[in-house]
Amino acid sequence: MPSMALKRNNGAAARDNSRSLLFGCFWLLFIFLVLFMVFLIGGLLSYADWETVRIVLLQKEFHFAMVFTLWTSVLATGLAALFAIPSAYVLSRYKIPGKAFVDTLVDIPIVMPPLVSGIALLILLGPILGDFLTRFGLEVVFSQRGVVVAQWFIATPYAVKIIKQAFDAIDPRMENIGRTLGFSPGKVFVKVTLPLAKNGIISGLIMTWTRTIGEFGATAMLAGITRMKTETLSVAIFLNMSMGDLKFAISTAIVMLLIALVALITLKLFLGKEVRI
Amino acid sequence: MKPKFFTLQDLNCKAGKFQLKDISFSLEARQYLVILGPTGCGKTVLLETLAGLRRPTGGKILLDSMDITHLPPEARRFGFAYQDSLLFPFLNVRDNILFAARAARLHTDPSVRKRAGDLAEAMGISHLLNRFPRFLSGGEKQRVSLARAFLMKPPLLLLDEPLSSLDPQTRSSIRELLQNLHNKEESGIIHVTHDFNEALQLGTHLIVMDDGRILQEGKTEDVFFQPASMALANFLMWENLLQGRIERREGRSYFKEKHGPILIGPIDRRNLPNQNSAEVTLLIRAGHLSLSPVVDCTGNMNMNSWYGFIERINCLSTHMEVVCKGEGNYRAVLSNNEWKGLNLQKGSRVKISVDVDDIHLIPN
Repeated sequence: MPSMALKRNNGAAARDNSRSLLFGCFWLLFIFLVLFMVFLIGGLLSYADWETVRIVLLQKEFHFAMVFTLWTSVLATGLAALFAIPSAYVLSRYKIPGKAFVDTLVDIPIVMPPLVSGIALLILLGPILGDFLTRFGLEVVFSQRGVVVAQWFIATPYAVKIIKQAFDAIDPRMENIGRTLGFSPGKVFVKVTLPLAKNGIISGLIMTWTRTIGEFGATAMLAGITRMKTETLSVAIFLNMSMGDLKFAISTAIVMLLIALVALITLKLFLGKEVRI
Repeated sequence: MKPKFFTLQDLNCKAGKFQLKDISFSLEARQYLVILGPTGCGKTVLLETLAGLRRPTGGKILLDSMDITHLPPEARRFGFAYQDSLLFPFLNVRDNILFAARAARLHTDPSVRKRAGDLAEAMGISHLLNRFPRFLSGGEKQRVSLARAFLMKPPLLLLDEPLSSLDPQTRSSIRELLQNLHNKEESGIIHVTHDFNEALQLGTHLIVMDDGRILQEGKTEDVFFQPASMALANFLMWENLLQGRIERREGRSYFKEKHGPILIGPIDRRNLPNQNSAEVTLLIRAGHLSLSPVVDCTGNMNMNSWYGFIERINCLSTHMEVVCKGEGNYRAVLSNNEWKGLNLQKGSRVKISVDVDDIHLIPN
């Protein structure tokens, strides 16, 4: 039946063509995305006056914002790790009634606009818990502590998600082997689970850290925007943009961009293929 | 009689929808017990329950007469090896082997380190001690896994299909290794598998499981060659099954095929059903059928033999499998030399014979 064979061949050729078209579109969109990123970064860098960048880098306000951002973000990341590692383990290993609901609760800061998160934090830590916290000398609202709390709140769900993936990827039989070889469940966690999840935890925490560095909305609502008090790099950009000091804002933005790039490149170089972000 | 050092009494355990049902057996010191069963029959759940990794819902586990049913795995210290070895990727081979010693804070003890070295030597992995697991082959990983499980001389070693993910050559060498270790080491071994050859070659005792319960247990040869039920015979893939009945002739018992002429006997010594003419299934292993060429098959058939012709010949690596057609299909296995000597081919007429000592009867 030559005509049937011919039809089949034509059909296969048509399928091949449509497949080529589909993957051709994939490539086009991918190239567009990469070029967009290149132009975005290139545009920002080309707009910078490098002499001004140098001057800005020497300014007291920039130094404050830089140091303040670093210590608040590191502290917030540490606190995020403190909550995220156990939470991720519980979510990964235990059967919890209504797990989907609990998981959604943990994810809320990811889906909520940062400004809304900020308002919610402001209400909880102001009118509701404010007096109680003040009694212990732990005022959060419109203070530097508020910056750490806002960063921690926004970034922790990212850490939980990435670290949970790392725990999920561990074969529980590895932990079983640890038990049969003489380790208690707690020691198995330290000697087996943590080393196996190490790369996932590190990548999760680096992502958390980069998220805390860029946090603005919730920080602004909870800690306020006060020069040289609650001024993170993001706040500094906002303050200077709103006052028309575009050069300061762009210089700071470039520094933040470089920090983010260095963090991501370090992450990918050190952790290679195991990064799941 | 040797003391029973490990005993299970009516053990029950739930794992999701699956359940182990009233598992009872005993193990003598240094015995090699193989638990055989199809995938999903509960072998791994049973091993994990024995190791303390699953909480039983009923029954008792006794070690040297001590009740260890509710003891955690780290207190039982049974060695455990899974089929996919599960080495810790962040430790090199030496530290993987010494992992149990680390738990006991003995990893720097010279005698323990010497034992680790000796075990590595016995396992043929002493040249790999500084390598990380990702640089090892499947067989090497399994050797390290066994050394790790054996290091602290566990009273009992639990092996979960340790050979099933290996290629045939490696499987054979690890099988020999296990035999050597069993001879040298003090540990009793419980080895679960779905491979008959592993069970026959390694086990001194055999338990066959299906659907969470024990079908039969006993000495390996007894279970293999005297299955108590058709379910077990089917699982053990008895090749030749003949339906028939027991007939009494001149005070002796014979097997008479139901829809054919085959007559086998006298089988007085067999454990026969009580009533005369009881319906039975007669089982014959392929290796117990013998073939001989015939030119003329019109004469009367002898007792314990019948006629057929060769329908199919399968050449296997170590032997020939011959399928003969008569009233039914009969499967025989012959060594290559035997086969050559018979000078038979497809379509040849053959006389199929069996020794009455090699048959097994199961009442229907």
